[in-house]
Amino acid sequence: MTVPATPIKVVIVDDHAIFRSGLKADLAADIDVQAEAATVEEAIAAVHAVQPDVVLLDVHLPGGRGQGGREVIAGCAALLTGTKFLALSVSDSAEDVVSVIRAGARGYVTKSISGSEISDAVRRVAGGDAVFSPRLAGFVLDAFGTAEVAVEDELDKLSARELEVMRLIARGYSYKEVAKALFISIKTVETHVSAVLRKLQLSSRHELTRWAVDRRLL
Amino acid sequence: MSAKMYRSPKRMVAGVCGGLAQHLGIKVGLVRAIFIGTSFFFGASLIFYAWLWLLVPMADERAGAPAPLVEADGNPRLKLFRPAAGAPIADTPHPERSKTPVGFKEIAIGGGLFVVAFILFGRQMGWNLQLGTLVPLLVIVLGAVLAWIQLDNTRRIGLLSAAKADTPTALLRLGGGIALVIAGVIVMVTGSGSWPLLWASIVASLAVLAGVALVLAPWAMKFWQEFQNERAGRIRETERAEIAAHLHDSVLQTLALIQKNAHSPSDVTRLARAQERELREWIYQDSAHNSGALVERVKAVCAEAEDLYGQAVEVVAVGDAELTEHSSALVQAVREAVLNGVRHGGTAVSVYVEAGEKGVDVFVKDRGPGFDLTGVPTDRLGVRESVVGRMQRNGGTAEIISSAEGTEVRLHLPSETSANEEAK
Repeated sequence: MTVPATPIKVVIVDDHAIFRSGLKADLAADIDVQAEAATVEEAIAAVHAVQPDVVLLDVHLPGGRGQGGREVIAGCAALLTGTKFLALSVSDSAEDVVSVIRAGARGYVTKSISGSEISDAVRRVAGGDAVFSPRLAGFVLDAFGTAEVAVEDELDKLSARELEVMRLIARGYSYKEVAKALFISIKTVETHVSAVLRKLQLSSRHELTRWAVDRRLL
Repeated sequence: MSAKMYRSPKRMVAGVCGGLAQHLGIKVGLVRAIFIGTSFFFGASLIFYAWLWLLVPMADERAGAPAPLVEADGNPRLKLFRPAAGAPIADTPHPERSKTPVGFKEIAIGGGLFVVAFILFGRQMGWNLQLGTLVPLLVIVLGAVLAWIQLDNTRRIGLLSAAKADTPTALLRLGGGIALVIAGVIVMVTGSGSWPLLWASIVASLAVLAGVALVLAPWAMKFWQEFQNERAGRIRETERAEIAAHLHDSVLQTLALIQKNAHSPSDVTRLARAQERELREWIYQDSAHNSGALVERVKAVCAEAEDLYGQAVEVVAVGDAELTEHSSALVQAVREAVLNGVRHGGTAVSVYVEAGEKGVDVFVKDRGPGFDLTGVPTDRLGVRESVVGRMQRNGGTAEIISSAEGTEVRLHLPSETSANEEAK
């Protein structure tokens, strides 16, 4: 992982002060926490003021219309090209994970993640890539199905390679291990993951809709 | 002698005499005789009987012998019904009668005979009983008893639910009783049998009833609404109490344990992890989606390993499968693999379960130092027997890939249908 010359500007959004300070202490030196926020309104204001590279965003937040992280992303829609959102949560319900991804977050990690892992994830998101936890990969496989394969650049299905990558991530492989297992470069793995993220965000696939309805996402 | 009085299930009319006899510790026959005797003094015992009938609860039917008087249609009391209790002249109580179900016809005949006898007796005593007052009185009593029997059946549940009258028979009984009482009262008050007058009175009283109902309707509605609100509140309260009880049993206990074990990081981690898992399960129950039982079992064995060694075991599942004999073996193999991972790997373990039409794949990955499979002594059963051997015996395959970066156990179990197709 190449460390950028300038530190990555980060805003931490979480309603628990203890968690914010813990996370701040855990993050690597090249990650500069510029602001913190505890509610939806504070978060939107802070993101607009700081215009950070990455926002570490808790899915469940007080304030706003009660939609938590999704609402923050929606409120910062104008900045989405420059600012990336990485969702953080204790929740691992499909509802929370997929809804925040579809709102525009570039990745999803659970709060039990270690300091170095989260620093890695922040760098990756800042570099424009997606961060998939094993659980998120599992949800993707569940939603898109494990058997179907896309012909071309189809939005509604995963390609064979994307399926393989998702499976390996679900099995607990890091990007590096995925690259090694599939004999491809890490960059290619990142491309595949970003493609899956795009499909997850944009697909209106019939089965995906049904899957979401089953889980009361829509 | 019993401390609390109950009406006896072995009864002639309503079990009052039996209950009283049991309560006082004297013979039933004597009590009945006293009741019959005193009923001649202006019906004193009849009133006492009715009073006891109303206020004394029935003895628990389950405790007593199965009541021989219950009909097939679940209408036990109607057949025993008689217009007046005590039955002084025409109907001397025979003890054996209570043992055999008596038909409504016999009771009606008996009741009629009793009424006739009572009138004749009264005439001879010189009372000037007029049919005009006696018949309506009888009708009122009949109606009241009919309606009260209904109430008597369900009285303990509460007046409101009793009034619901959910069976057609019960409704008919209640309605008939009320109609009889109304008719009786009207006839008695008008004091004559002339039809035009009767009709006028009926219309007038119905109008009065309607007026009263109109006035009372808002009050009744309010009462009903309050009752419903209270019930909803009670349900909410119950739910809250359930959640509180759950939190108390789980989270508070764990927090107390964590405070006690604060000096030992591994214990704290283990406790917190177990609690987290338990709470998660409770909050995110997704049972409607997962129809099979395989994933649940895999999660259970992973939880067990987590508790034993204090290492996180992350389970990601796609799809689910039924728990068969073979997949139970698969779960056992997963258990061994996970235990190996947390024991020797000493790191967090990832478990990925993918169940599809072709079969079930399970991947168990740790990031420990790895081990050389060929270097494992042959007498060590662990991996070779309980993972690889078990999978092969059940028609599956097991692969173990170990390197310095970690170990991955890959288990595959073809589904029964696909295995059959391959065999053909």
